Amino acid sequence: MGVKSKKVLAGSLIAAAVAVGSAGALMAADKPVIATVVKISGIPWFDRMETGVKQFQKDNPDVVATQYGPATADAAQQLQIVQDLIAKGVNALAVVPMDPSVLEGTLKRAMDRGVVVVTHEADNQKNTQADIEAFDNADYGKALNERLAQCMSGKGKWTTFVGSLGSRTHMQWVGAGEANAKANHPDMQLVDPNNESFDDANGTYEKAKEILRKHPDIRGFQTSAGNDVLGVGRAIDEAGLSGKVCLVGTGLPNPSADLLESGAITAIGFWDPKYAGMAMNAVAKLLVNKKELKDGMDLGVPGYEKVKITKGAGDGVLVIGNGMVLVDKSTYKDRLF
Amino acid sequence: MRTTGGQLVMLIGINVLLLAAGAAISGGSFLSLFNLQSMTSQLPEIGFLAIGVMLAMCAGNGGIDLSGIALANLSSVLSAVLVGALISSTDSAFAFSIAFMLVAVIVGCLGGMINGLLISRLNITPILCTLGTQMAFTGIAVVVSDGRAVTVGSPEPLASIGNGMLLGVPVSFVLFVAVAALIAALLKFTPFGLWLMLMGTNPKAATYAGFPKDRVLIATYAMSGMLSGLAGVVIAARNVNVKWDYGTSYLLIAILIAVMAGVRPEGGYGRVICVVMAAIALQLLSSMLNFGGLSNFVRDFAWGALLLAFLAVSRYDLVGLLTPGRRKKPA
Repeated sequence: MGVKSKKVLAGSLIAAAVAVGSAGALMAADKPVIATVVKISGIPWFDRMETGVKQFQKDNPDVVATQYGPATADAAQQLQIVQDLIAKGVNALAVVPMDPSVLEGTLKRAMDRGVVVVTHEADNQKNTQADIEAFDNADYGKALNERLAQCMSGKGKWTTFVGSLGSRTHMQWVGAGEANAKANHPDMQLVDPNNESFDDANGTYEKAKEILRKHPDIRGFQTSAGNDVLGVGRAIDEAGLSGKVCLVGTGLPNPSADLLESGAITAIGFWDPKYAGMAMNAVAKLLVNKKELKDGMDLGVPGYEKVKITKGAGDGVLVIGNGMVLVDKSTYKDRLF
Repeated sequence: MRTTGGQLVMLIGINVLLLAAGAAISGGSFLSLFNLQSMTSQLPEIGFLAIGVMLAMCAGNGGIDLSGIALANLSSVLSAVLVGALISSTDSAFAFSIAFMLVAVIVGCLGGMINGLLISRLNITPILCTLGTQMAFTGIAVVVSDGRAVTVGSPEPLASIGNGMLLGVPVSFVLFVAVAALIAALLKFTPFGLWLMLMGTNPKAATYAGFPKDRVLIATYAMSGMLSGLAGVVIAARNVNVKWDYGTSYLLIAILIAVMAGVRPEGGYGRVICVVMAAIALQLLSSMLNFGGLSNFVRDFAWGALLLAFLAVSRYDLVGLLTPGRRKKPA
């Protein structure tokens, strides 16, 4: 290496030393910091969650609440953000894991360092103090089915769609729906249940057309994955059956708006990520302040006024709210996202 | 060989600048011992992959290894499944750890050899060959694990590779530096290193000079595969679980690091120390942006800008402009 290079290196070292020396002087963390880490930033679902986190910050000036998320849907990228935030010294992490299994090791290290860890949509996460679920899956499936039965006047043929047979939550939803129909609406006749949609609107559209041909007298569909209502709704719309065939399923207001207006979709169910984000932060704040989580307590967030607390997958607890939202043509505009 | 101290000096300068900027943004906590440890323990997995890409690039003839992260996942998943079926990770932790690491590195080496064989014997273009094996490796990993995460657990001494410290330095980083030094020495002092670089510079001349071309190629890709296996070990040690779709974004980042380090895409030149420095620079930049609470889209932008800056510097010899006495004649 030449003299020049050596000079540059020496200069760099001096600069680094100065930077280290000045470090520490500015350390001033009086307010507890709660960092929300989502699966991926820049998509509508998590943008909506960010409005919740911002709302929480406005309501709770005694903490610092911000949201982070990777630019690509990769568990490794989310992991790095979590690690950097732990190193930064946040007091609490509110994570929506991309892949719970990948985060286990890091979340354990975080808790060992005294960082509060709260998760969402990860009821199999072992290393968390509290996992927030928006609703009880059985209650949700039952509510969807009840809305469908109401539209079908409690009689006629109906069928169900799931994302895939391996999707645990979807099977729970349609299972609870079936049980509800059997118990309360004996005139509803389930045909060809549990069609797999793979969350693909086009495939679902083809499958729904087949079902409409096979059962011309079918009266209702209960769907599970986010894109199912779009596929089935399009099939109903094109068959000119809007308003005659009922469709209730999980979906988001913005993409479903047209089909809700035309009457092809009867109602959609979901949970509002805005309130889920607020609930995560509320629980994190309670845990940072060493408060206890009690069954039936009020988190001060709509849909989480009386939460159910049960044992989680690890040492932590499951916090289950009642945050399900069912909207139809007349009410979806209040929740447009 | 051309003089390339400039690239290294620039990389070191950038690293120091990033450290200073990070300290300024975070009010000092960026330079805390814990964060330095956190960053250095995040580095090895991508670092191993980047050195693998560098080796493949040096081989010339469009050499590149796209199968890196897929092979890393395959090594860790396959090893976890195989070793997990024979040895319990809780009852005989030591035996499990050693067997896990060995099998992972062997799987990596075999996967790399397959790449090398296909490229040297069947004359398949490296970019197509490794694209194909990348998908094949991912597919095998999905099949053996049923698409689910496989639990490795935290048996000692595997767990200390992921979480342990040696005199305050993360063990994984010590391992990374040791392996990097070994490869650097291999490239500099052995006939293999000389053959690799000369072959990359001019494959035709290498053929006429009677180099053992096929063997050099196979050895190069096997080494790249072994590095993937090591990356798999580090990932498993840190994350407790391994999964086939971990780190899909690493593929391009590893290539980005290699190019930033001044490795010639046409082959024949690359320095391990520069790759290590470039990996550190990317890590510092991304951690710094997380500390500053900036969006991760800014990070992608910053990485791109950094890469373009480096390309411009090496193309126009800007370091030479700053030090007129040493400026070399334009080619």
